[in-house]
Amino acid sequence: MYGDLGIKLVQHAKRTQNLAHLPPYQTELVRAVTREVRDLNKDVDDLLEPFQGSFDPSEDQAIAYTLLVNHISMRRNKRCLLAYHRTRTDKLEELVWNGVDVVDLSGQQVRDAGASRGSTGVASGDGSTSSLSPQEEDYVRQYGDLLAAYKGQWTDIDLTGSLEPPRDLFIDVRVLKDAGEIQTEYGAITLTKNSQFYVRQGDVERLIAQGYLQKLS
Amino acid sequence: MSYYDVDAILTDGEKVPCRFELDVPYLGHLDNSSGLKAGTRLNLPLWLAEMFALASAGQDASPPITLSLPPCLSEQVLAALKADPRAVPLRDQSAYFYGVAVRMLDLFDEKELSAILRNTFVVRAADVGLHARKAEETGLGGQGEEFLRGLDEWERRLFRRGHEGVKGAKEWTDNVKKS
Repeated sequence: MYGDLGIKLVQHAKRTQNLAHLPPYQTELVRAVTREVRDLNKDVDDLLEPFQGSFDPSEDQAIAYTLLVNHISMRRNKRCLLAYHRTRTDKLEELVWNGVDVVDLSGQQVRDAGASRGSTGVASGDGSTSSLSPQEEDYVRQYGDLLAAYKGQWTDIDLTGSLEPPRDLFIDVRVLKDAGEIQTEYGAITLTKNSQFYVRQGDVERLIAQGYLQKLS
Repeated sequence: MSYYDVDAILTDGEKVPCRFELDVPYLGHLDNSSGLKAGTRLNLPLWLAEMFALASAGQDASPPITLSLPPCLSEQVLAALKADPRAVPLRDQSAYFYGVAVRMLDLFDEKELSAILRNTFVVRAADVGLHARKAEETGLGGQGEEFLRGLDEWERRLFRRGHEGVKGAKEWTDNVKKS
């Protein structure tokens, strides 16, 4: 039945809405839906061919309704595809605003998914190295550039900073991942894994958001 | 209802029973036959059935299919809802019960149906609100859990909002007390 694949895609989108991370891009499913649209379009062309552009719907109702079904099915598939991609781009924009390193994050998810896939046997995507499609990666990069350009207008305000006022100027942090050397007002510190520091919150806020550091309360 | 609304799209995917009023030889794939005959009964998704029921080729031609109410809005279900709206697990009828019902009411002029549904929603919404408030304290369990499992998508959203509201208010009062 036409439109069934589209429904599957939208169900994926629905699941995505309730997840914190982004599940792998359904390359196969998207391809199948677009193929269905192409097949439908070909059917329409074949049906209309003998009429040479002089088709009168009231004369041949059966064909008219077949065309209608094909047309509505194509529109439906289009809506499913758009809704699926929009759900994902919304999610990606949210991640960019939260300062998550999306490319880094997707690589990590694939590793996680690979581990769980072994036990559950769920095959997802085509085994590429990222849960984003190439187009989505491009989108994230360009959206990130846009956001950076937008933020550049007000250098003294951090638009993506936390809305919570800090309780203390200095905090204890633990390093979860090697982040190299950073410059602060009080000199340079080298962030090596598993070490602990007492630093100014403003200096490391970015790194906490990106998951390099963990705040200790 | 937005074009990109995932829930709206899934609601449109729910099936409704239809009856074809004329032969369409090219649409055999809809019921896996070599061609549709007049009088064939078929379950079509709402997005297709709606356009089809409203379409008519030519001036005085009648629509090619007749729609009827889906099983989730059948006599039995409505009778049960009239008796006690809280006792019916709507999700078993359809995950998008209200969504489908609203779409059907656009197509059918059923005063009684809309009255029953309105009453159902109001009565159940009160219970949903009650459970959303109490979910925090008592945890889920017993009869409440069974009721919550029967919520359709609208009611689930209502429950989530109510729950978040209670939680947010509690967090706020705790913060005020602390500082």
